Amino acid sequence: MTHQLKDGGQVLNVGMLARVEGEGGMHIEIKDRQVVDVKLNIFEPPRFYEGFLRGRTYTEPPDITARICGICPVAYQSASTEAMENICGIVTTPEIQLMRRLLYCGEWIESHALHIFMLHAPDFLGYESVLEMAKTYPDVVKMALRLKKAGNDLMELVGGRAIHPVNVKVGGFYRMPTVAELEDLRPDLERGIEDALAAVELVAGFDFPEMEQDYTYVSLRHPDWYPLERGNEIVATNGVRFPVAEIPQHIEEFHVAHSNALHARFDGGTYFVGPLARYSNNFDQLSPRCQEAAVKAGLTETCRNPFKSIIVRTVELAYAFEEAVRIIDLWRDGHAPSVPIAPRAGEGVGASEAPRGTIWHRYCIDADGVIEDAQIVPPTSQNQASIEADLRLAAQQWVDLDDHMLTHRCEEAIRNYDPCISCATHFLDLRVKRS
Amino acid sequence: MSAATADEGMLVIGLGQPDRGDDAVGPVVAARVRELAGDSVTVLTREDPTALVQAWDGYRVAVLIDAVLTGADPGTLTVRKAGRDAETLPTHAFTAAGRGGSHAFGVAGAVELSRTLGTLPEQLAIVGIEAETFDHGPMSDAVVACVDDAVATVIATLARAVGELKDTEAGTCA
Repeated sequence: MTHQLKDGGQVLNVGMLARVEGEGGMHIEIKDRQVVDVKLNIFEPPRFYEGFLRGRTYTEPPDITARICGICPVAYQSASTEAMENICGIVTTPEIQLMRRLLYCGEWIESHALHIFMLHAPDFLGYESVLEMAKTYPDVVKMALRLKKAGNDLMELVGGRAIHPVNVKVGGFYRMPTVAELEDLRPDLERGIEDALAAVELVAGFDFPEMEQDYTYVSLRHPDWYPLERGNEIVATNGVRFPVAEIPQHIEEFHVAHSNALHARFDGGTYFVGPLARYSNNFDQLSPRCQEAAVKAGLTETCRNPFKSIIVRTVELAYAFEEAVRIIDLWRDGHAPSVPIAPRAGEGVGASEAPRGTIWHRYCIDADGVIEDAQIVPPTSQNQASIEADLRLAAQQWVDLDDHMLTHRCEEAIRNYDPCISCATHFLDLRVKRS
Repeated sequence: MSAATADEGMLVIGLGQPDRGDDAVGPVVAARVRELAGDSVTVLTREDPTALVQAWDGYRVAVLIDAVLTGADPGTLTVRKAGRDAETLPTHAFTAAGRGGSHAFGVAGAVELSRTLGTLPEQLAIVGIEAETFDHGPMSDAVVACVDDAVATVIATLARAVGELKDTEAGTCA
């Protein structure tokens, strides 16, 4: 359906982006073939998690916040446990950190495998959904399910459940997996490395639109490893870097009228979190094999084409499998699952790299451990302005396409981010008005 | 293709998240079925609909238990056939707003993807239990009250599916 403006302009309205994790829509206004307004409307009803946390005890956020998302619960758990441990002055053991990283690998594998093959690849291969794609590419879809299952199995073992894990606590875990249990997963994880590396070659062969954006890429950075479950500082491509504890001083959330999710600014400007930022800020921390696969796929150390995020995700998928096997190689039985922790009044920040980008939590607790204030900043809200900028560029670049094709391009531009509303973009009730 | 006879390869899956209100009913009913069914039936629980595609691969007879939302009274039971020869389910994976699990991949998507990939059981029945709430917290009273009936329905559905498979085999042999 089309809206014709009285002044002769055109309005492209995407109605409902309804899905489990969130609801949104899109509005693009075109006048004389020029895109003059773009809005990503996230009208997901308020969920009040930050409000729920106030008055609860400092040990509860890992279990409560994990319920925010069925795809990246571990990201919420990691950020919240790190924040509380920072406030309480606790440093966990290297083994606990190792196991957190293994759990995070499970989440990355689950999420990346789902998005790469089942949500994103159909765009490039010309199918409306994975159902259609499976008729021509059954082996690819079977591989995707196999990869995702390996992630699910890892989450079940280390986290206690494949979705909304229950084995994580402030200070560590309730129970550590045994060497024997982890060894059971090894064959699928080792096969996953090979499958994912082959998949890098597969997705590198897709046809990518020419589109580059000069965003400020923001991600975690750690001196010793590619950032997943934690980093020690935030780094940005504009040269800014600072400790995780200082994130609230650089990132400001603000409300916009057309969205029920907060937007965010990084030092006053638009920024970008996610695989492209992670990769571009931390290429040197990838394994040699993953670096080689990325280069062979045509990437350089920085990637600025949002459509090529599918290649970067697949490289990260291979890396997550490699890391999982590496950690299992190192694992020995008998490590304490957690360290003692006692509350201490204060304020603290924790951050991790969710599959979709940096997530951070800030808490204030009193001397009894009661939460006085909570702030949860997920990647999708941080990226809303970047998504709108991509939509603006995409709509302008392809303004002469017919409504169906223009819609498809705009949907793809949204799916590049794998935001929590990404799959809903398939439902777009597009209304275009052209002068 | 599985070489199992009609009496073998029987699977019951309870789908749902234990802490999302009535979504827990699938695993709850499956646990009860596990106590009653004996060793000849494999009973699983799953939270992620995408896992179904592999979970029932190789089984000839399967019953899936899931909370549904159709507008009927909470606790209402429905049984729908979805096996290889059944009608395709009305779905479009990842496009059914609010009808799926994470990223909107729901049961219908899993069934139809399995049909395409050849992992769909010959006999598959979905026992749906009308839900009242999917909010965090316990199951509703109406759904708790129907658990016994749901268990009986699952067992009867399983027996019927096995019977139909035997009938099919008999017909084939004749």
